[in-house]
Amino acid sequence: MNPTTNNTADWSEADRLAALRAYDILDTPREGAFDDIVNLVARHFDAPIAVINLIDEGRQWFKAETGLGVRETPLDTSFCAHAILAEDRMVVPDATKDDRFACNPLVTAEPHLRFYAGQVLKSAEGLPIGTLCVLDTKVRPDGPTPLQMETLEVLAAQVMTQLDLRRALAGQQQSQAQFRAIADSMPQMVWSTLPDGFHDYYNARWYEFTGVPDGSTDGEGWNGMFHPEDQDRAWATWRRCLETGDPYEIEYRLRRHDGVYRWTLGRARPIRNETGEITRWFGTCTDIDDLKRSDQAKELLSQELSHRIKNIFAVVSALIALSARQHPEAKEFAGAVRTRINALARAHEFVRPHTENSRPTVGTMTLHAFLTDLFKAYSELTGTPRVVVTGDDATFDDQAATSVALLFHELATNAAKYGALSAEGGKVTLDTRRLDDRFVLTWTETGGPAVEGAPVQTGFGTSLATLSVEGQLGGRLERKWLREGLQVVADLPATALSRRRAAQNAA
Amino acid sequence: MTARILIIEDEALVAMELRFVLEDLGHDVVATVADARSAREVVQETDVDLALVDIHLSDGPTGVALGRELGQDLGVSVLFMTANPGMVRGGVAGTIGVLSKPTDEAAVQKAVDYALRRRQGQPVLYAPPELQLFG
Repeated sequence: MNPTTNNTADWSEADRLAALRAYDILDTPREGAFDDIVNLVARHFDAPIAVINLIDEGRQWFKAETGLGVRETPLDTSFCAHAILAEDRMVVPDATKDDRFACNPLVTAEPHLRFYAGQVLKSAEGLPIGTLCVLDTKVRPDGPTPLQMETLEVLAAQVMTQLDLRRALAGQQQSQAQFRAIADSMPQMVWSTLPDGFHDYYNARWYEFTGVPDGSTDGEGWNGMFHPEDQDRAWATWRRCLETGDPYEIEYRLRRHDGVYRWTLGRARPIRNETGEITRWFGTCTDIDDLKRSDQAKELLSQELSHRIKNIFAVVSALIALSARQHPEAKEFAGAVRTRINALARAHEFVRPHTENSRPTVGTMTLHAFLTDLFKAYSELTGTPRVVVTGDDATFDDQAATSVALLFHELATNAAKYGALSAEGGKVTLDTRRLDDRFVLTWTETGGPAVEGAPVQTGFGTSLATLSVEGQLGGRLERKWLREGLQVVADLPATALSRRRAAQNAA
Repeated sequence: MTARILIIEDEALVAMELRFVLEDLGHDVVATVADARSAREVVQETDVDLALVDIHLSDGPTGVALGRELGQDLGVSVLFMTANPGMVRGGVAGTIGVLSKPTDEAAVQKAVDYALRRRQGQPVLYAPPELQLFG
């Protein structure tokens, strides 16, 4: 009978063979640990033959044997091939009286086997991979003693423990080899420490970068590789992480093999066991020197650019004023141009790229913040604003800045000349509302001179305001000449103030 | 009320326009200088009531330290005038405040008047809205 034809087993022969081969034990040399076991079994049973038998495909192979003198035999004469189909063990007191073995050539001819007792070897997954068995040429009608069978069972379990340990060890060695292969092929430096912070591993890249001899930075020697100014900080940070188990992260300067210090990002994470105890730290060092330099350069450039932009407005404004000095008749004209330029400068202050230092003192960079700033010049002496901004706030970008600045500058100068702000007690409210996909700004003047109707002539300022809203912002501008004061409604698409961002969001 | 005023500004056009505005108001502009060292020399040689100090000068962003020194140690009233008021957001000891550039004659006049009144110990109820005060 062949194991593959058995119908009662709850495993397949393919799985069984896979389990056997996973132990990587077939065709390995003899080993004392296993030889000792078969010798002991033979003596304990007072039998001539004992074997650690692994049932392979078409053959049985002996990891250890005594009394046989061969390492493998074909499967068709095997007793053990039958045994592994049994639950845990098989005993044959007299093979000549057993239908399964009476015609077996090993029974009918040399060596005339009669007695067999085998304990199945089961893999960790419970698959039978072979037996620990004992054979005799004499019939044993009483079979083995209970102590003999117990011994066989215990020793079979020891064989499997040996095999399982070997397999686990081999797996670990392989995963370690894999880790090293990965670690050594990484562009980053990799290191590892014991729970107390003792450095005991660095990958190839570390030695390549630093140029120090293998092993020379083990223990606490790593700290000496960093810039003297960074050592205390690195040490303190590392100590704290070791105590708390917090992830380690630091930027410090690491000495390269040529003596140049390069900015490096150091990071490490603890590995914990099931009970949460730290068993190791794994860390990396990444050369971020180029990145850091380009960041610094960018920051500097952006700062410089910011200063320049604002300064140009100041120079243009001064140039207009100086030019007008030669032409008293142009004074009013120059004044109007200057205030428009100044309003633009203010609006751009709110939208140009800022660094921490160049940010205007006003807190937020929103529409309300800008408008409040723009209308400051029209406040009462006490600082109470005469143009009150209410409603929904919004952000605006550089594309909208010019239009927003010109629109409200014109409305405010006009109100100061002819409207509510020209009279004591006159006020303006500016209400901004987000209404579905529209953003509506309503400018309402009250308390100024009574309005008699729309003016016959419109000035350039009015055209500018209309152009800003209807041309640039794609909205509608409506003027209502109410008796108590002018009301202006600018109805904009909600995206008009931040078109670039709206476009980005849509993309 | 006329005063002796020092303009510390490295943009020549802006400095010149400021000088005209102050002279129109009847003030005596003792000098316009473009860097911190020249400013110290002027203050050591001449009496100065008020200094209008830009932050970015021809020798770098030296205006903040200069303003502090003039205000705290040398008895000059100091108003910063800068395109980048964020640089002195936290305030500068011994100085009055900051005026954001570009600005106009009216704002300059109000800010200078305010500074001079404070210098003379006159009661000043309200600071002009364009002037951001320190402290």
